[in-house]
Amino acid sequence: MRPLVRLGSTVGVLALVIAAAACTKKEETPDGGATALTAAQVKVALVPGGAHPYFQPWKDAGGKAKTDFAFGDVTFNETAGWDQTKQNDVLTSLAAQGYNAFGIFGVAPESINSTFENLKKQGFHVGSLASCPAGDKNLADFCLSTDVQEAAYKAARAAVDAMGGAGNLVHLTGNKVDSNTQRRIAGVQKAVDETGGKVKLLDTITDIDKDLQTAQKAVADLLAAKGSQVNAIVTTAYNPAVAAAGGVKQAKLPIKVIAIDDDPTIIAGIKAGEVAATVLQNPVGQAYVGSYALVKLSEGCTMATPGVIIDSGSFVVTTANVATYDNDRAAKTDSLKSDFDSKYLTCAK
Amino acid sequence: MKQEETTPEQRPPARLPLWANPRIGLVVLLIALIALFTTLRPAFLNTQLTLVPMQADISVYAVVGLSQLAVLSLGHMNMAVGRMAAMSAFASGLLHDRLDAPLLVALAGGLAVGALLGALAGLVISRTGVNSFVVTLALDFALIGLVSLLYATFTDGVAFNGLPAGMSALRTDTFADYCAGDVCGPEIPLLAPIALIAVLGVGLLFRWSRVGREVLMTGANAKAAELSGIPVRWRVVQAHALSGLLAGLAGFLLSANNGSFSAGVGDGFLLPSFLAPVLGGTLLVGGAVSVLGTVLGTAITQVIYKGLNLLQFQVDELKLYIGLVLLAALSLDRLRHVLAERRGVPA
Repeated sequence: MRPLVRLGSTVGVLALVIAAAACTKKEETPDGGATALTAAQVKVALVPGGAHPYFQPWKDAGGKAKTDFAFGDVTFNETAGWDQTKQNDVLTSLAAQGYNAFGIFGVAPESINSTFENLKKQGFHVGSLASCPAGDKNLADFCLSTDVQEAAYKAARAAVDAMGGAGNLVHLTGNKVDSNTQRRIAGVQKAVDETGGKVKLLDTITDIDKDLQTAQKAVADLLAAKGSQVNAIVTTAYNPAVAAAGGVKQAKLPIKVIAIDDDPTIIAGIKAGEVAATVLQNPVGQAYVGSYALVKLSEGCTMATPGVIIDSGSFVVTTANVATYDNDRAAKTDSLKSDFDSKYLTCAK
Repeated sequence: MKQEETTPEQRPPARLPLWANPRIGLVVLLIALIALFTTLRPAFLNTQLTLVPMQADISVYAVVGLSQLAVLSLGHMNMAVGRMAAMSAFASGLLHDRLDAPLLVALAGGLAVGALLGALAGLVISRTGVNSFVVTLALDFALIGLVSLLYATFTDGVAFNGLPAGMSALRTDTFADYCAGDVCGPEIPLLAPIALIAVLGVGLLFRWSRVGREVLMTGANAKAAELSGIPVRWRVVQAHALSGLLAGLAGFLLSANNGSFSAGVGDGFLLPSFLAPVLGGTLLVGGAVSVLGTVLGTAITQVIYKGLNLLQFQVDELKLYIGLVLLAALSLDRLRHVLAERRGVPA
């Protein structure tokens, strides 16, 4: 038996080697698979990296875009579970279901370009929403996102102002092995460096944006250990922001909190004077204008600069403008849409 | 007790009836699931968008399952599967980034690091007698920090820019892209044969090699194995080294599939690493493994995941139904097992 097995395997391996040696790679068909569609044929999928409160406005914004721009369909799928492999799976499944334009928040900015490349190769249009790929290359048609480093810098500047230009600052943020977090850390560091040593970055606490409980525990630990030394907390992720606002209020410490986004707790905190400021992003604009651009691309428009990176805006909200901030955001969304028409898209008349 | 065909002591005296063979049960289940999902969503058979990506995922997770199987053979666990993969991917990335190492050298370097980490875990377990769960969990915690530190030191952030030449082809190409004259290969991703080599290697090791059989005997009864003259401690180190090596290979395959050597490689490996072997009939207590069952277990899990994705379940429903389908699959297998016992057939 064994000699037969050996003979069989040798012949098999030999056959494979000969077959492999005779093979040549098929020439790539030119990438022009994307044929122009009518708006009614466009099906947009908005796919965040996983479930997170930040993305919830995408649902309504996508629905509104569908009504306003009369395209075929829109879906919101948050099942990727913060795993790039699963997100890739979700995307190909949606493509198999007939979705042909994708607004994606990539789980792993360092490898999302490969995902974009795969989708584009099959003729789909892709927008990178709310986060751009790491590095200096964006293989999606465009990236419409908060400039996270700039937003973190603005937040840290607001913190420095709130603490009177001197003292100890703590930075609370998300997943450390995420290049966006690294950019946020760099943004905060830049603002601290600008004070010439007057403000000291006491601690940068990462990996606490998984859920609210994790963030609350981290804030409680921080306040118990160093509460009396801290003058301000700057947060650059959603759950730490909500936890810091609540934790400082409960501990009744004179710490200035700079939050991010507009969770009702945070807005209430600003109105009550417990939260010094918050830096808002523009998720509605990302999904609404992102869907618009994807429909236009599917209809045959092209990007004037493929892979262009567009800042979707960030806004510092304090007690002074807490009542009117949404107007600024809506105005930014409108201007983004007209910028796509006038600057970013090239459409045949 | 379950008698596996790879149990070293003895083989079943008579051939199993087809229905009583656990692997046949899994194949039937797999076919039934494919038929079900195809009926509900014909897009399940879409080659480019469903079948090819699914084969690539099965290739990665089958190797992840084998990595855990290598230590389950001893009745041990490897809680650091994901982080061993991450360290191995880091080593491959570093070799390419700093020394411009070609694909095979980067892969070999990564595998060596994985195997060394596994061997280290095995050495600590065999020398101290501390439970493998505790040792590998501690190693996992240590490596989480180390991976993050290493990437921060050697890269701009959390990933290496660039991949060795040929690695992108592993992600994008199938054999259908390669032709001899007019005859092109099948729509199978280039990653698949790498996983197949691992499957065959591990299968042959546990079935025919002396080392593999002695590892299984150690898993079945360490005392008896030692009294029979088997170098038990050395076999523990070897099985853990194999687990690390396979975790490294899985890390490489995932890096190829996702397009970068990054710190996040291996984050989602732990649960699938147990799921596939256990679903496939490998015993948690050691002494019996099923390599083919692990591959089938992986395929079933991926088919369920893909099918539910195609049915566009929302996040909570998706988890609920994955749990329910897996529970149903395990119950069916148990039912088959009980029926086999009643009829006096070893299954």
